[in-house]
Amino acid sequence: MAKSLAAEPAGLGRVMSPSGTDYSRALAVRERRFATALLAPAFLALMATTTFPLLYLIWTSVHRMDLAMPFADGFVGFDNYRELLQDSRFWASLAVSLIYTGTTVVLQVVIGLALALLVMGMKRGQGLFRIIAILPVVLSPAVVGMVWRTFMLAPEFGIVDYFAIMAGLGSQNWLGDPTLALVSVVVIHTWQWTPFAFMVLLASLAALPDDIYEAARIDRASAWQRFKRITLPLLRPAIVMVIIMRTMVALTAFAAIFTVTGGGPGTATEILNLYAYRKSFTELSIGYGSALAVALLIVTVLISAVLFAVRRAR
Amino acid sequence: MNMRGQVHFDRIVKMHGNFSALKGIDFTIQPGEFFALLGPSGSGKSTTLRILAGLDMPTSGTVVIDGKDVTALDAKDRDVAMVFQSYALYPHMTVFENIAFPLEMAKVGKAEIEPAVREAARKVKIDHLLDRKPGQLSGGQQQRCALARAIVRKARLFLLDEPLSNLDAKLRLETRIELKKLQRSLGVTAVYVTHDQEEAMTLADRMAVFMEGQIQQIGRPSEVFAKPNSVDVAAFIGSPPMNLIEGRYADGHVEIEGHRLRTSHQIAGSRNVIVGIRPGAMRLEAGGLPATVDLVEDLGDTAVLDLTLGGATLRARVSDGPVPKEGQAVSVTARPEDIHLFDATTRKRL
Amino acid sequence: MIDKRFRIAAVIGISLVFLLAWVFPIVWSVMNSLKTEQDVLAYPPKFLFAPTLAAYRDVLFGSGSILPNLLSSFIISIGTTIVTMIMAVPAAYALARLRVPGKRFAGFYVLATQMLPPVGIIIPYFLILRNIGWMDTYQGIILIYLSFSLPFAIWLLVSYFEDIPFEMEEAAYIDGASRWKTLWRIIIPQVRGGIAVTVVFVFLNAWNEFLFAVVLSGNTVRPVTIAMFNFVSVEQTLWTKLAAVSVLAMLPVIVLGIVAQKHIVKGLTVGAVKGGGRR
Repeated sequence: MAKSLAAEPAGLGRVMSPSGTDYSRALAVRERRFATALLAPAFLALMATTTFPLLYLIWTSVHRMDLAMPFADGFVGFDNYRELLQDSRFWASLAVSLIYTGTTVVLQVVIGLALALLVMGMKRGQGLFRIIAILPVVLSPAVVGMVWRTFMLAPEFGIVDYFAIMAGLGSQNWLGDPTLALVSVVVIHTWQWTPFAFMVLLASLAALPDDIYEAARIDRASAWQRFKRITLPLLRPAIVMVIIMRTMVALTAFAAIFTVTGGGPGTATEILNLYAYRKSFTELSIGYGSALAVALLIVTVLISAVLFAVRRAR
Repeated sequence: MNMRGQVHFDRIVKMHGNFSALKGIDFTIQPGEFFALLGPSGSGKSTTLRILAGLDMPTSGTVVIDGKDVTALDAKDRDVAMVFQSYALYPHMTVFENIAFPLEMAKVGKAEIEPAVREAARKVKIDHLLDRKPGQLSGGQQQRCALARAIVRKARLFLLDEPLSNLDAKLRLETRIELKKLQRSLGVTAVYVTHDQEEAMTLADRMAVFMEGQIQQIGRPSEVFAKPNSVDVAAFIGSPPMNLIEGRYADGHVEIEGHRLRTSHQIAGSRNVIVGIRPGAMRLEAGGLPATVDLVEDLGDTAVLDLTLGGATLRARVSDGPVPKEGQAVSVTARPEDIHLFDATTRKRL
Repeated sequence: MIDKRFRIAAVIGISLVFLLAWVFPIVWSVMNSLKTEQDVLAYPPKFLFAPTLAAYRDVLFGSGSILPNLLSSFIISIGTTIVTMIMAVPAAYALARLRVPGKRFAGFYVLATQMLPPVGIIIPYFLILRNIGWMDTYQGIILIYLSFSLPFAIWLLVSYFEDIPFEMEEAAYIDGASRWKTLWRIIIPQVRGGIAVTVVFVFLNAWNEFLFAVVLSGNTVRPVTIAMFNFVSVEQTLWTKLAAVSVLAMLPVIVLGIVAQKHIVKGLTVGAVKGGGRR
């Protein structure tokens, strides 16, 4: 009986013949077809909005493309890049980018970690910190920039200037003086994003098991030793993660600086990102602006490669 | 009566890369049978069930249900029901909606769904819980809900993947009995995966013992218990497991550690064998093998003795007569028909 | 004893300084938005004053009302959220649950797209939209917003889909459900919470976006973050109105942030946790 059943032609084996075929492949093919249908819209949209623009950007970066003088447009090879290497404003903007990124990231991590440790030790008021910390983080950087530019830093009107006068420092041109302007945009960025570092590190701290600390206490480790030998190593992945994320964001920060100083005074707060924008959309040199954007992409990839290497190390 | 639910596996092979999870599985299950797939974890019993369900597909071979080749058919088109080890109840649906779901998918009319769900729930005694969500049920109630969801559609095959393993010991015994009654009253073919030989022995009409991707033996539980066809099956079935000792057969006798026991086997010539004796078949009688009692596990009505016999360790279960003390020297024997013989090299039954 | 009391006082003091520093710019904006034109210019600054809603009345219902801009912000954010979710939910399910060749690459691709500087996307995108006449249109701005909202949403959703046991799908297949029905009836209802969290963050990011909006906005599409520049010019700043507009721009995201409070760390760090390719 069983033999005759097995010998029957496979009436329902419509995908594959019944003899000697890998049916698990048939199942995989069906699953792949379904997965493709699910993935296709999102991936087409991502290609259209990221991959295609990137290729187009590289194409425009090897062209002269000037919206003000379209008659002179044409292929120029690497001229834009050669010009870029000679361009002192490019190097200055790169320096501002690195200073801006370096200082804001260090400040965020140091203050964020210190506060997280402080709050972790508090018996009451943790909830208040958690709520308040959300506020700056969810705001639009453009609105934050606008509020700081006017109600906080405007000379003889802003509250910061008021406190400066009260403290005997006198009214300062917070956004008009090159050094003060750079300090101001660093402070604004740090103000908005330190809560991010604080929240992430607080969450990681809270996830550390208590018994390690109890064991260390029994081993007579001092508070400083406990921090240096236990907390810091255990927190290292979270700290590196915060550094990576904040570096990426700081390198391409735009809205807050744009609203607060517009890159000024002069080019004192013009980070590379902003320079590429100004070149493209204010001076309408799309080709050269594209080369600047590609340079920014290269810098971003290089820095993240270094940071990912640090993260993988040990 | 119900002639649906015949299953035939023909040379089923399943490869995971270079690893063969199933090395050619053949068996036939008759309609209405309670069939157990028994074996240690990793033996291929769950893979076999998943291939039968259509959740996995074999690398080669044919699966036939009720005379039709279903090897390439998706699970949803096979008309089988399954109870998962984790129950896999849909957490966002009420018990009623959970049980109704298979009917809905089968496009059963609204008017018919309601009574069918109530009927299924009543059979497993959860008809008072229909409005609850799975999260509000106890483990036992969840298990019943999974059962109800499986029986409501009156599918031709009822697949159970270790359905009792998440219950506590007492509940497991109760549910086992109810499960058997339920299957009998429905008359449905059941395929039951378990690693618990006691479960398989008590529930199954027939069982297949799996080891390393192959079926070692198929038969009624009592058959498999009485005549295990290999050393591995003998060691797996029965609790405590069968004593297996190297020895030598000659002329109606086996020689163990220099002592002879009479056996009812008649084999030509003399050869090296593995001798198997169930602990329950061991008798404390004079004139047998001299042994020392190492340890006594007193279970109340019976006692299990750990014995040393030369270099070998044996276990004996005694249920009547005086229980010897630890350290005491005893003489153990077994009736000739209780002695199993396996070939020392092929490890197959002689 | 004195040492301990001093330490507690120091902790409270430092805490208050930081809490105040974080709240103050926001509270100060709210206060200024409730002042009269005279009060706002007073020196020294007034912390106590008779509040008035005059500024809100003016910016909402006066000439040059920002209601169309708020509407614009909502259309952009809601539109982006809907389109993103329609594409991201199936994609995330496939990446989280299905055996697809090249899945690793797909995951890496999603991550890599997040590294592109926005300014590098907007330059070519601007040229394209100019050519096809989509400048200052909602479809144009929503499409480019997908460049950041899609990778984000996919990553966040993948983590929720991964929490569902595989038996769920298998049970549904056994019960006779097709793959689509299984996704729709069994899986998606179980990640409702994750979808809600994702919606909140996608909306929030779209609401806050600025660079693309600056380049692509015009008279039709003009979100409130762009429109607030109407209130500051070289000649004069309309202080109370600017404050009112800022507060109106902050309000939706603060509400959403507090609603999604418990998920904010997950939402902020999505992608980075597993960064560099999955599995």
